[in-house]
Amino acid sequence: MSQHANRSLLKLESVSKTYRGSPAKAVDHLSLEVMPGEIFGFLGPNGAGKTTTIKMIVGLLAPDHGRIIVDGHDVVEDPVSAKMKIGFVPDYPNLYNRLTGIEYLNLVADIHGVSASERSNRIEGLLSMFDLTHAVGDLIQTYSHGMKQKLALTGALLHNPPLFILDEPMVGLDPRSSRLFKDLMRSHCGQGYAVFFSTHILEVAERLCDKVGIINKGKLIACGSMDELRRLSKEADESLEDIFLELTLPEEADST
Amino acid sequence: MKTRLLSLILAQLNIFFSISHSRYYYLKKRQRLWEGILIAGSIIILALTLAFGVYKLAQGFCSQAALLNQEALTLTTGILAAQFLMLILGVALVISVFYFSNDLPILIPLPLKPWEVLTSKFAVILANEYLGLLVFIAPVFVAYGMRADVNWAGYIPSAILVFLSLPVIPIAVASILAVILMRIVGFTKRKDTLTIIGGFLLVGLIIAGQLYLQTRLSAPGADEEFIMRMLARANSLVTVLGRQFPPSIFATHAVSLAGTSKGLLNLCLFVGISAFSFYLFLVLGNQFFYQSVLSGFEAPKGKSRPFVSRAESAQAHERTPILSLAIAEMKLFSRTPVYALNGFIGFLMFPVLFVVLLVMGNDPEMAKLWGSLRAMPEFHRIGSLLVAAYFFVLVAFSGIPFSPFSREGKAHIWFLKSQPVSGQEVAIGKALGAEIMVIIGAIPGLAVFQYIARLHVSSFVIGVLLGIAASYSFCVFGVLLDMARPMLEWTDPRKAFKSNLNIIFGMLIGAAILFGIGSLIVTLLKRGYSGLMAQAVSGGVVALFLAAGLKLLQLAADRLWMRIEL
Repeated sequence: MSQHANRSLLKLESVSKTYRGSPAKAVDHLSLEVMPGEIFGFLGPNGAGKTTTIKMIVGLLAPDHGRIIVDGHDVVEDPVSAKMKIGFVPDYPNLYNRLTGIEYLNLVADIHGVSASERSNRIEGLLSMFDLTHAVGDLIQTYSHGMKQKLALTGALLHNPPLFILDEPMVGLDPRSSRLFKDLMRSHCGQGYAVFFSTHILEVAERLCDKVGIINKGKLIACGSMDELRRLSKEADESLEDIFLELTLPEEADST
Repeated sequence: MKTRLLSLILAQLNIFFSISHSRYYYLKKRQRLWEGILIAGSIIILALTLAFGVYKLAQGFCSQAALLNQEALTLTTGILAAQFLMLILGVALVISVFYFSNDLPILIPLPLKPWEVLTSKFAVILANEYLGLLVFIAPVFVAYGMRADVNWAGYIPSAILVFLSLPVIPIAVASILAVILMRIVGFTKRKDTLTIIGGFLLVGLIIAGQLYLQTRLSAPGADEEFIMRMLARANSLVTVLGRQFPPSIFATHAVSLAGTSKGLLNLCLFVGISAFSFYLFLVLGNQFFYQSVLSGFEAPKGKSRPFVSRAESAQAHERTPILSLAIAEMKLFSRTPVYALNGFIGFLMFPVLFVVLLVMGNDPEMAKLWGSLRAMPEFHRIGSLLVAAYFFVLVAFSGIPFSPFSREGKAHIWFLKSQPVSGQEVAIGKALGAEIMVIIGAIPGLAVFQYIARLHVSSFVIGVLLGIAASYSFCVFGVLLDMARPMLEWTDPRKAFKSNLNIIFGMLIGAAILFGIGSLIVTLLKRGYSGLMAQAVSGGVVALFLAAGLKLLQLAADRLWMRIEL
């Protein structure tokens, strides 16, 4: 275990966000914590606030209220230090099409200050794992969606980040890459690091996650391990899908 | 019921001018309504000011020409200048709109014929040109009408028809050249690079061809006897000047002789030639457009090299974040045809113009003039300031530092925003990238200028250093301006560059600064101060400007960077 053992790698304290011109809060006093070694699955229906939360964690949006702490660094107060600890891949990673794969990876490595020898080893290992070695000299515009996704993952893992944040990471990955990726998430957490990801694929979350958070209408309505979530549900052996549907059912449907 | 072509044209115009987008954000959501009003108000005031300036200029020109019985020369000059500029700038615009619009993957699968797509895109370019012509040509027509005491009932309809037809020929010619170029490029592997080089070659050829035509046509008639013979006949110089581009003679006569049968004939000729050139373009475009676009979709595969060498190259290229950002900025800009064609055009135009001046002025009289100029010590000092000003002009008119965040757009800005770099580092990296591009771009122009002017080495070096300092400080201001109000919402990369108000602000601010410093220097020289003093004062102003820019960067960059949200 690393130096992160006793400290949360991600902590959200009563975080809120309202978009300009919108009456409702996209995220409403959201608090959660991700500990080292944990894979945290962040679930919720469309428009629940998952992507807004992730955007605030990685600095794409500023929270209106509350604090976001990444490995001891406040994302608003000390964004550069906080981002040094994060590896992020969005749902649709639009990469610079007119750079080659290796140019993109070198840019990421330069920004994160990854040393020459370390970058060389990591690039080689990750590219070979994702089967991208043959394409890394080509312009990114020649890549398929899945290849772009894998290149973005490679870039996000290049500096070995303590906190790996992914928005719908399985989108566009073929079954082999998807399996590889799940193994990677597990081994990343094995180093004492953490993974925080949003997904719609409940089977993946159920099998992979140590902890699951369910957000609906901007509010965290449930959070805990699968066993803890089952305790919240009506029946003891419910699947995550049942629990999810039960918790996120529209109010009017619930009352009928 | 609207025809599908009309529907397509209206949709294209809507997207190009962001009509629904503006209506939604400014009117429905009332987001930053004040900003919309401020921008619209500034544009209207600026346009009216420019139009009034052009009107006064045309009025003065017309009064002078009237003394020689050549009032219609005002129209010919305006029409020729406008058509020439539209032709030169049209090449890059046409290539961008026709071949690099993001909507092509949506339009091509639709059951539309190539000519329908081309017509809708041509309409967008025309609409764009009309806005410019309203400021630069409409006042010329008004000034001529007032001065020549025309019959307004006949004059207004003719002027409107000529106005509407005016951009058709140059844009059609630029489009035909672009269609041919892109068809050739379509056969090659390095499409982006060849598009950029081909685009520049076309612009260079157009400028050189036009200037060659000008020198060739004016030479035989330059003797005094010929001029006197021409002056004896009313508006005869129209024919001489108009020989550079014959349709301009028809356009001039259509307006100046409006209401007469000769005017009507010229109007029909001008509109007819415009329609024919458009038809010719559609025939050619219908044949080749989709083929070129589809070959563009086939992204080229590079030659894969062994991984060992790439890993080695990764080691060799370990850089600081700022340098790495600057290099990425340069690569992304120069590899994107839409940006490179529009941004680097000034880097090419000035050297070509210098070369043409060199060729034209290659006679003993000019050589004697340059010789006597070089013998003056002040010439070298003033020359060094011209060298410095050249850098500044390139920054102001290339638009590169005024659009780095806008060019990232919503699609790509996530990357930098999620990286561990401060606003200051990002701004410095972007400004440095822009500055390096400007320095490289200045080399051809400076080489030609130095070949002509032959400044002392010390003066040339002082000019270059002063120019680099001045242009870097302006790059910093530009980057901060774009950081403060980035145009992130676009679907077509051309919009981030060609329709970006930050670039227009940059040009205006640059022109104002140059005018200010230029006036200061002229005043100093008139009052008997030496060229050395002018150099020292310019150096002081540049140092102040640089210090202010860096201080502003230190104070504002991080805050502005935080404000950019997705």
